[in-house]
This record gives sequence, C-alpha cells and structure tokens, in this order.
Amino acid sequence: MSASLTAQLEAVARPWLKASARSGGRASSAASLWLLADVPAAIAFAAGLALAIDALPRGLAAAGPWLVVLALAAAARGLLARRAAEAGARAAASVKAQARHDAVASVLGGRVTGGEALSAVVEGVEALDGHVARFEPARRAAAVAPLLLIAAIAVATPVAAGILLATLVPFGLVMALAGGAAAEESRRQFLALERLSGLFLDRVRALPLVLAFQAEGAVTRDLSVAADDLARRTIRVLRVAFLSSGALEFFAALSVALVAVYCGFNLLRLLPFPVPEQLDLKRAFFALALAPEVYAPLRRLAAAYHDRQAAEAAALTLAALPAPAPAPPAAAFGAPPALRFQAVTVSYEAGEAPVLDGFDLDIAPGEVVALLGPSGSGKTTLLNLLLGLAPLSGGEVSIGDQRLSHLGSIAASVAWAGQSPVILPGTLADNLALAYPGADREAIQRAARAVGLDAVLDDRGGLDTRLDERGAGLSGGERRRLGLARALLKPAPILLLDEPTADLDAASEQALLPILREAAHGRTTLIATHSEIVAALADRVVRL
Amino acid sequence: MSAGPLAALIRQQRKRHADGLRLAALSAAVVGAGSVLLLGLSGWFLTGAAIAGLAGLASAQAFNVLLPSAGIRLLAILRTAFRYLERLSGHAAALKALAAIRPTLYAALAAAPPVQGLPLSRGEASARLVQDVDAVETRLIRLSAPWGAGAAVAAGLALAAPAGWAPALVVALAAAATVLSVRALARRLTARTGPAIQQATGDLKDALAAYAAAAPELRVYGVQERAAAEIAAKGARLDALKRDAVAAAGWLAVLQAAILGLAVAGVLALAHDAATPLAAMAGLATAMALEGLAGVGKAFEQEAGADAAADRLDAVLEHGPSLAGAQDAPDRPSLTFGELTVEPGSRLVLTGPSGVGKTTVLERLLGLRGLNSAHPGIRPDERLLCGGQEPDARARPAFAHAPQDAAMIAGTVRANLALAGPHPDEAVWAALADAALEARVRALPQGLDTWIGENGERLSGGERRRLSLARALLRDAPWLLLDEPTEGLDAATEALVVARLDARLKRTGQGLVLVSHRPAPHALCDQQLPIAPPAAIG
Repeated sequence: MSASLTAQLEAVARPWLKASARSGGRASSAASLWLLADVPAAIAFAAGLALAIDALPRGLAAAGPWLVVLALAAAARGLLARRAAEAGARAAASVKAQARHDAVASVLGGRVTGGEALSAVVEGVEALDGHVARFEPARRAAAVAPLLLIAAIAVATPVAAGILLATLVPFGLVMALAGGAAAEESRRQFLALERLSGLFLDRVRALPLVLAFQAEGAVTRDLSVAADDLARRTIRVLRVAFLSSGALEFFAALSVALVAVYCGFNLLRLLPFPVPEQLDLKRAFFALALAPEVYAPLRRLAAAYHDRQAAEAAALTLAALPAPAPAPPAAAFGAPPALRFQAVTVSYEAGEAPVLDGFDLDIAPGEVVALLGPSGSGKTTLLNLLLGLAPLSGGEVSIGDQRLSHLGSIAASVAWAGQSPVILPGTLADNLALAYPGADREAIQRAARAVGLDAVLDDRGGLDTRLDERGAGLSGGERRRLGLARALLKPAPILLLDEPTADLDAASEQALLPILREAAHGRTTLIATHSEIVAALADRVVRL
Repeated sequence: MSAGPLAALIRQQRKRHADGLRLAALSAAVVGAGSVLLLGLSGWFLTGAAIAGLAGLASAQAFNVLLPSAGIRLLAILRTAFRYLERLSGHAAALKALAAIRPTLYAALAAAPPVQGLPLSRGEASARLVQDVDAVETRLIRLSAPWGAGAAVAAGLALAAPAGWAPALVVALAAAATVLSVRALARRLTARTGPAIQQATGDLKDALAAYAAAAPELRVYGVQERAAAEIAAKGARLDALKRDAVAAAGWLAVLQAAILGLAVAGVLALAHDAATPLAAMAGLATAMALEGLAGVGKAFEQEAGADAAADRLDAVLEHGPSLAGAQDAPDRPSLTFGELTVEPGSRLVLTGPSGVGKTTVLERLLGLRGLNSAHPGIRPDERLLCGGQEPDARARPAFAHAPQDAAMIAGTVRANLALAGPHPDEAVWAALADAALEARVRALPQGLDTWIGENGERLSGGERRRLSLARALLRDAPWLLLDEPTEGLDAATEALVVARLDARLKRTGQGLVLVSHRPAPHALCDQQLPIAPPAAIG
C-alpha cells in the first residue's frame, strides 16, 4: 500500500503539482524574491548590531546611527515578510483559480457525482494554498539564501564562511540519506491522520443510520480502536519522521557554536593553527550575528512541509479527475433523424464491467421510445453517450446519415428535461431563454403557459421573477415544469427525457403526462424512466 | 480555554499523559532558553575575547576560554537533543490524548437529542465538526510552544539583567507588548475573517453540487460557460477573503519585527554604560528572545479558532453517554397512528402524495425527530405511539429500518450488514438472498469483504437499495420499517423481492410499515393509512 502510494506520488502528484504551480507565474517568483530580499535586510541588521557594539565604548553618540540602522533593518524585515506572504497568497489565488477551473470543467463533464466527491474537489483545490503560497517560495529561497548569507559573511571573515559552508555539506548529506525515509514516514503519518478524520466524518454522516440500528456503541468502539491503533503505530513512525528536524537543529546550533569558538580564539590570537586573517570585533560580531540566519530559510522550509504533504494528497484527487468532454459541434439536423445503436459498448474504466455491452436499437425518425430498466442498467448512460458525456468504447451510433464516433456529441441538436433542472441566477425569463437564445418574449410566455407555470407567472412577478441558483420559491414540480418549458422552447429535432417523473406521486405524475406528450411531438424522443405510466406514452418500450 | 466538558475531557487526558507532555514542555523550554543562551553567551565571549586580545598576549592567556567555549558547545548539543525530544514526546502524548476525543464526541453526538445531533451530521455542519476536532488537536500538539517562548523570554531577561535593570525592563516590556498586541490583533482578525471564509467555502460547494447535477442539461443548452463562471465567481470571492486574511496577518509580522528592532536598539542604548561584553550579550539575547516569540501570532490565530471550535464541540459534548436502558420497552409493541392502532405482526402501508411526510412518520417512530419538528408529518399534536408510549430512542429495539436514501457506511459489505448486529454467515447470506442480492455479492471479487466505497458508491443505486433492505431483514426486531424498498428495481427483481419478503414475514411473524410509490409492494399489506398534508387536516 505505502510503496504503491509513494510511486503514485512520484508519478502523479508531483508532476501535477509542478504543472499547476506554473499558473502562479510572476506572483510566485515575486514571493521568492521578497524572501530573498530579506537577505540584505538581515545583513544590514547584523552589520548595524556589530558596528553598534563596536562603537558602544566610544559613547552613545558614536553608536547612535548604527542603532537606527539596526532598528530600521528589523522593521524592513517585517515588511518584506509581509510582502512575501501577500505575493504568495496572490500566486496561490491564481493557481487555485486555474485548478478550480479545470476541476469544474471536469465536474461539468458529468462523471464526478456525489456530494462527498464534489466536496473533496473544493477542499482539494484549497489544499493547494499553502503549497503555492508558502512551500514553493520557501523552497526556492532556501536554495539560494543560505549561500548569499555565507557570501556576505565571507566579506568579513572567509574562514567563518568556510566553516558555515562546511556544515551545510554534511547537513545536505544527512538529509539525502535520512531525509527520504523521514519524509516517507511523515507522509504515512499524515495520510493515516487523514484517514482517521475521514472515518470519523463518514460515521458522523451515517449517524441517522447508526442510531436507527442502535450501533452507536459499536461504532464508537471502532473509532476508539482506530484512534488507539493510529497513536500506537504513529509513535514508531515519528521517531524517524523527526530525524530531519533533529538534523536541522543540530547543524544550525553547531554552525553557530563553531563560528563563535573560532572567532573567539582568533580574536585572542590563541588559534592552534595558522589562519590567513586577523579579525576585529566588528567583523567577528557580524559573522556571529548572521550565522543563525544561514539555517533560517531551511527552517522556514521545514515549517511549510506540512503544506506540501496536504497538497500532494490533494493532487492525487485532482489529477484523477476525468478529462472534460470536448465541446459539442454545431447542430446538424433539420428534420427529426433516425437513431441507430449498433453493438454499442460503454465502459468508464478499463478492466471494469461495461455499463452497456453490445447494445442494439433502431429508432425511426420522430419515434418515441421509452427505456425501462432498473438503476444501473445503463439508461442514463445511453442518454449521456449521445451528449458526449459517456465514452463510446465499442460499436457505433448513427444519427441520420452521421456517425457519433465522428461527431463526438449531438448535444446541439437535442432538447432535454431531467429530474432537477438547473437554475442560473437571473429572472425566470432568462432561465427559460437559455434553452434558445433566439426566442422572443412571446415564445417564452407561450412555453411557460404550456407547462402550467402560469401560477408562478401570476403570483410571483411573472416572467421577471428573480431566481437564485437554489431555485428559491420554486417547488420540485415547478422546477420540472421549467425544464420541460425549456425543452419546448428549443427547436431541436431530438428530445431526451431523463426520469422526468422520478420521486413524484401518481397525481403529480399524471399532471405532467400531457406536457411530456406535447414536448415529444414531432421529435425523435428517448425517455429513460422507471414508470410504466410514462412508458405508456411511447410508441415503443425497450427494456434494458 | 473554555470551562466546558471539552476542557474537562482534555484536562483528564492531559493528566493521564502528563509525563509525556511535561517532558515536551521541559524540552521546549530547554530549546527556547538554549537558543538565547547560545547566542548571548557567544556574543559575550567574542567581545570579551576581542578586548583581551587587543590588550596583549598576557591578558589573552589570562582570559578563561575553556568555560565559555565548552558552554557554547554544550548548548549546541542540548538544543539538538531537546528539540528532537520535544517534537517526539509532544506529538506522542498529544496523539495518545487525542485518541479519546473522537470516540467521546461520537458517543455524545449519538446521545444528543435528534433535533440537535442530526443537523450536525449533514453537509457543511459535518465537515465543520471534523475541522473543529482538527483545530483542537493542533492546539494540543502545540501545548509545549508557550513553554519554549516563555523560556526564551526568561533567558533574554537573565542575560540582559547583568547590563543593568533598564535593558532588562526593555526586554520585559517588548515581550509583553508583542504578546498583548499580537493577541488583540489576531483575535480581531479571526473573529472577522474566519466565519466569512467558512460561509464562502460552503457557498462554493453548494454551487458546484447544484451545477454538477445538471451537467447534461448545461451541455445541451450550451451554458456550461455560464455555470463555470458562476462557480468561478464564488471561488474568486473565497480567494479574495483568504488574501485579505493573509494581508492582515502580515501586519502582525511587521509589528513584531518593529518591536524587535526598537527593543534591541533600546537595550544597547541603555547598556552603553555597562561593560561592552555585557551589552553585547544583552543585545543578542534580546534579539533571540523576541525571535522566540515569532510563532506567537500564528498560535494566537489558531487559539482563537480553536476556542470557537471548542465552544461548538462543548455544545455536543454536554450530552452524557447514551440512554442505555432500552429494556423498559415491550418486546412486541403495538403501534398507534392517530385513531389507528396496529397489533404486532400487522402489515401497514402509509399512502399519500410526495412530500406529505410519510418518511417523517417512520423517522418519528425511530426517535430520529424532535416532537417540535418543523417538518410536515402527521400533525404535531397527532398521537404516534409505540407500545403506548411516545417513541424515542428507547423504542428503537422494536424497529429495523431501510431508509429512503439507502445510506451506507464506508467499509465492506460485511461491515454494513454488521450494523444490524453480529450474525453467523448463513443468516447473512439468507438475508441477502431474500433481498435478491446474494448472487451479486457472491460474484464480487472478495465477496462479503468487498470494499464498497463511501456511501456505497461502488454499487449501483438498485444494489445499494437491496443491501439496505438485507440489512433491515437481518436485524432482529418485531417491526420492519421499509421506505421505498423497491425504488429503482426492475419489475422482475421487484416481484422476486416482494415474494421473498412475504415469505419471510410469514416465517418470522414480523410486522411491516411500508412507504412506497410503487404498486407491487402494496400487495404485501393488509391495511393502509392515508397521510394527509397538515394544512388539509387543519
């Protein structure tokens, strides 16, 4: 499990993150540059401190200017940190906007369903935030800033700079050797915690079920066992996971101690070996004050590591989203065409059982066919296939004299009504007109009346009633009527109806039947339904 | 930290794992103080060495180099060892302590009155509950952080004091100013942006779910772009809020840095009369001590978030452990719906148009709804009795429920069936056979132990429904409550399910309360009860 997970991260998550980080563009580089701009400010602070200490014996007046320098440098470091954070947030916003755009295109391709999966998409996009805003800039800065700081120290004392450089090498070595294992363990830990959270969330969501079955005791015990188990296993994992933070601390402390001891003995002229330099207080103190800064960028990087793990986990979710369906070509049929399914096979994933296998069906121009069958038998898949939302894995569909494998989709020639018509923010008229932007007001009015939306028209402000996307003010039945009005309005030669009366009681279903008949009139029509009554409207019933 | 039940729970857990937490705190303090001491001592050593070196070889040799240089090396090693210890013991103790929080919370959630507990199990509320637990966790893991910061400030004070009382006072004032101002700012920021961000995230999720459900329609009418733009606008609003929060939090960093600069300059200025090595020590120690407070802003932000989280969790946790006394319900109770009383073993179908509240009646029998529920049902004052009593949690042993949404827990087929209690495999297969699902489950790659994903997503809608039915059949209860048990099944499967259900009911003598739009299962029932909308009755 964990080996394949690592492979997945290598093969999928990292490249995906890298590619998506590109849309951070200039803001992302700006964040790194602001972090690098901290280097001169840190140098100014150390220099101010060293020169002030050096001048202190000569009185406050001599030290005064350097005290001002160090105070200003410190404030500048705060401002630069703020600019870096802002640039990082800007970069994160643009990366997230792009990732969200792609994810939404995929989701609107119709293959991601279920509230939890969609929630995961939104949360996955948000999990990129810290990676782009903090980890990436910190990583780039960490590659350069320590060397710049060491170079600045070299100006004052090349030997101390050499000492610092020499500690960076074994640090790098240790990280190369132990860092991988530590990162692996810490990732495992992170994922285990995520899974525990996921388990808890799932059982919370199933609460009504758990209560009805009086299983709360058993579920609580399960949660308890999972949490205890995680805690026990985790402690072993942590021993390795924290090695890298131990190494960082060790080399950071060691470098300061070595610089201090070297400079001290140099100043005392008591070094047991010859060096090509004789330090004074200014230069020695400068090196000492700057030495802790050499490892500070690496510390910042370590602090952002959690952000990276979260983003990697999210990248797995986001990279697995199916590619969005290509845009449908323009309408191609004047009159209702014949539809002919020949040995049609649809399977979403290689290796999984196909949803449709060798399906044959001939539909005459203008014929009304009802598809009857249990959920999972492929009714909805058949409709989605025509819209390019399900893949044609084998066989062929002919529409008139054209072939679906060439067209990809006939969405532009189709009118549609389903269980839960979409409502976009705007007036009722806008919402009807989106089916056929060429419709005039009178046509819209006619369609609304034909489906019995008059009640809404009269009571709530007519066609100009404002609707939000939750369809405030419309009942379930009224929403369905809205969907049917759209289908009436669009002069398309093919009509697809997806369970137009599911979940309705017999009376409400009866009320919709004449409208369905009216909508299907003069078009090649496919109705996916469970209802025998709706199926009775059709010229022919096909059982899947 | 609040004084509610969560605080009590955490206190109890902290007590149990006190050794680890104490070790973590002690280690953090050593690291915090060690960093300050390391640099302060180094500064003192360097400056002293410079003065001695200038004074000639004799005074250089008289300068005690062993003690400071040994001290510096010791501090470097201590800092490393204790940093590792701090992270290890802090995380380990926190994890052990935390293992108790989720189960306790779940038990309390299950014991809460339905009007309070169940809304938390849906949509955004459930996601927030999980985030709240995470927030409390983060705080537990960071318990040692204040000790580190406190030790750093104390060490700073100790190293500034030899240079005079005034530099020490400056360190104290600067530390106090940092903590107080950052705390005030962080609380204000969190109070404002936190809820707004939560709201924007919820809106984004809602919009995405609404448009995703309508994908074919969007495509047919060519309005995908408009829908995508609507979603993007909601996303942009969320991003803008987050950027505002970052910009505001950035001022905390500026404030802290400015205080640090002023404090170091002030300490050096006030120490100019003292010996230069002492002034150097005071200056460097001040810088390091205030840097040790750098994480304090973030901590306060998290703290404020965790407080809000703790308040919400407290509201759940105040419900003690569940009502265990399920014994006082009669074995085979009769059910009373208004004027109608049905005896054990009867078969009743509830009829009425969609949305009238048939499902609500079943949920009321199960004690899953409050009496003052705003949802329609039989009228609130209408009597609904189980064994002559208002049904509540204690009535649940009387019922086996197959809910309308055929909900599943994430896990295997077996885990889902096990909600109905422990049963031998033969009984499990028999229930699956009666639900016309046996062949399908036998064909699954791992049979009963096949993972069915979140909410049974790897099963088709009809399979899920039959699994839900099998689970209800498996539960040993005098009444079956079946809500649309055959929705989504083809006619042949439906007929099979109905026939086997009939045989099973005859065999077990169980009663049935059915809700179904479809005519076939109605044949099972000998009585019917029309449910009328509340308005029509009143």
